Amino acid sequence: MNWRKVRIFVFTLLALCLIPATRYYQIDEPLLKLLRGSNHIDPLSLHLSGEFVENNLGTEQDADGSVTVRMIAQQYLFVPHCILVPAGVPVHLKITSADAVHSLTLNGTNYAVKTLPGTVSLAELQFPRTGDYKTVCREFCGAGHYAMRSEFKVVPRDQFPALRAGERGACVLQ
Amino acid sequence: MLTVMVAAGSLILVASDAAPDRIPSFVTWSAENIAAASSGDAFRGSLLAKRCDHCHGAEGFSPVASTPNLAGMNMLSIWKQLEDFRSHKRRSRPMEPIAESLTPRDVADVVSYYAELPVFPDPQDNRVFPGMQPEAGRAAVAARLVTFGDGERGIPPCQSCHGPVAYRVGVPSLMAQNGDYVLNQLEMFASRSRFNDINLPMRTIAALLSEDERRALAEYYGAGLGLQPAGSSGSK
Repeated sequence: MNWRKVRIFVFTLLALCLIPATRYYQIDEPLLKLLRGSNHIDPLSLHLSGEFVENNLGTEQDADGSVTVRMIAQQYLFVPHCILVPAGVPVHLKITSADAVHSLTLNGTNYAVKTLPGTVSLAELQFPRTGDYKTVCREFCGAGHYAMRSEFKVVPRDQFPALRAGERGACVLQ
Repeated sequence: MLTVMVAAGSLILVASDAAPDRIPSFVTWSAENIAAASSGDAFRGSLLAKRCDHCHGAEGFSPVASTPNLAGMNMLSIWKQLEDFRSHKRRSRPMEPIAESLTPRDVADVVSYYAELPVFPDPQDNRVFPGMQPEAGRAAVAARLVTFGDGERGIPPCQSCHGPVAYRVGVPSLMAQNGDYVLNQLEMFASRSRFNDINLPMRTIAALLSEDERRALAEYYGAGLGLQPAGSSGSK
């Protein structure tokens, strides 16, 4: 047996295994979802049907006191532009993209949610403190990328309005 | 139905329980639609467009500042507007019946004709474009918004979607558009009386702009300053 060839083969194999083993955290979750075929959504017809139609965007009050936020990222805006959420309750974020890859990053927190067309990105957020959290897109998405910013307005729990079923909250554009 | 209530120092948009899905436009930018909109016959379109001359001008430049110029406009943007007029998603007393009277082939042909018209000046024409040059301070405000937008407020630069730097699919070129028309549309988007922008980009941006900024932008485009990328010449 040619041990030299075996050694080269084994070390090459190990080197190739090291790449995913050390970089697994960089593999995008939405990309995996897209490859698995689950969670698929047509980015061209978000406005026609499904949970991302205009009047379903914004904050929805869930029965257990938590809230669900639905957003669309597109060149070069997050819609709705300003999100109103209560402090101290779980926020289930659902975001999808209508065109390119975007990344919703909340300043002052560790939250960064990458979204790409064709999948819905899910994230669990919670804001212990009230205040305005500026958001930016941290994935280069085109000519107006640097101006793609929006805001999460976190208000005390008792000041967050009680939304009935079918109602969606959003703060007024300043 | 929409009602508005005040809470936590912010206005909350509230949709009623039984609200059906609010659909801004039935247009989707699928490959079939893009192919259908781009496959028109410009010569046949030129014959059909004779009936558009009265308002939109024989060369695609309107004699009235509140009516849009169509010369050199991107095909997909005119196609979408005609489809929206046809489905009453964009309201216009003159344009809705006209769009309804056109067949899909007519629409593609007319769109193809206007997209081929040149935007260079013609002294024989009675066009109002380009209008008066805006005052320097206002032009600077508009140029800054067109070139850079306002990152602090989350307003993207106009030229990143409306050209000439970049275009999004179906977004109209503003390079040779009449100022009064631009202002009217910005006001209508801001007040949400025009609502056919898919996924709300223009309703959001127009509402973020102040009234002065909307006026400055309209003057800027109406004066023909949008023909070149803002900041492209050193003399500006």
